[in-house]
Amino acid sequence: MRWIIDYQTGVPLYLQLIAQVKSAVATGTLRAGDQLPSVRAMAEELRVNRNTVAKAWADLEAEGVITNRQGLGCFVTEKVTPLRKAVRNERLALALDQVIVQAHHLQVSDDTLRALLDERLEHFQQTRNAQGD
Amino acid sequence: MPTTVSLDGLSVRFGRKEAVTNLSLKVESGRCHALLGRNGSGKTTTMKALLGLVRPDAGRVSLFGLDPDAHEAEVKSRLAWVPDSPAFYPWMTVRNVLEHTATMRTSWRLDVEEHLIARFGLDLNAPTASLSKGQKTQLALTCAVAADPELLVLDEPTTGLDPLVRRQFLEAVIGTFQDRQPERKTIVVSTHLIAEFEGIIDDFTVLSAGKVVLSSDADEARQRYCRLRGWFEQAPPELTLPTVRPSKREGRLLEFVVDQRPDEARAWLHHAGASRIELTPLSLEEIFVCAAA
Repeated sequence: MRWIIDYQTGVPLYLQLIAQVKSAVATGTLRAGDQLPSVRAMAEELRVNRNTVAKAWADLEAEGVITNRQGLGCFVTEKVTPLRKAVRNERLALALDQVIVQAHHLQVSDDTLRALLDERLEHFQQTRNAQGD
Repeated sequence: MPTTVSLDGLSVRFGRKEAVTNLSLKVESGRCHALLGRNGSGKTTTMKALLGLVRPDAGRVSLFGLDPDAHEAEVKSRLAWVPDSPAFYPWMTVRNVLEHTATMRTSWRLDVEEHLIARFGLDLNAPTASLSKGQKTQLALTCAVAADPELLVLDEPTTGLDPLVRRQFLEAVIGTFQDRQPERKTIVVSTHLIAEFEGIIDDFTVLSAGKVVLSSDADEARQRYCRLRGWFEQAPPELTLPTVRPSKREGRLLEFVVDQRPDEARAWLHHAGASRIELTPLSLEEIFVCAAA
């Protein structure tokens, strides 16, 4: 998996790492039982402070996303955590934000946008039904 | 967190010229603090005062909570320094330098020495006179890190080195210096290559004309400093926000940088009638340019 640090987002570095792990787990790039790189390897690869990686891994552990097995390393937690849903919502919110910005520039009112969303949801539902699943 | 470096009201004069004026800064244990500034801003003088190579005319230096004059041996045993142009006795070989340095230090990690020499591909039998600038820096870093210091002082360490050597340098600092007890491994670095060190910088201080113009946590600064651009239907209105750089207007565009509450600045643009707004957080290098200009 490829890790990226962007110094021009205004987002603290450790939060960027946390977001990437969470999104990788949510999308299935990282699966339960997968091992995360060690703090040292990660810090060297990204050329960031080890304390930054250590803080990110510690926060992820506290949130139950990963488990630190003493001497073995950090692994993605086996159980399905409620975070997956939260992360998915977060991602979706980002995509929706872009739609809202677009709507603003196309001068589409909020009510029209809501109606359009309902219409599209309906359309997809019908498509799924038509395919018989 | 304990304080590793504390400079308090430091002033250094050279003849009539005051190189550093009433400078105070603190570096907490385990942090990496960058000293940034243009040439002649007082960075090197500050580094020298920190290392005890220059005696301040006023103010106090404290390292590991100790007065370096009263506890010289202890303080020196706990810190190591990589200068911008390391110099060695030209007749010494790489092995001679390592042995010579090891005898002067209270602790020496042979495993670290061997690891770094192998990693850098240095020839133990090569006379130091035959080393390139990059190899001399690698040798100086090996000497510094093998002494297992708590405080590593890097003075423009990678200036003038090729990209591969710079990368190896940084990886060695992260991978090897911070290897054991990273919470006690403190770094003070002065550099012009801000982008390169951005990832390991926790805090930074910008000096200009011998004075501190900005001192901040790096994450916090990146959250606060933003460039805003607003496009208007007509000529942009007068700016009524505190900005850190003179605003720029080009036709219907108004551009400025704020160092606090970027969301309020965005709202201001919105209320002022901007039809399109762009908000870009700044990197440390850009923040430095704003602060040092």
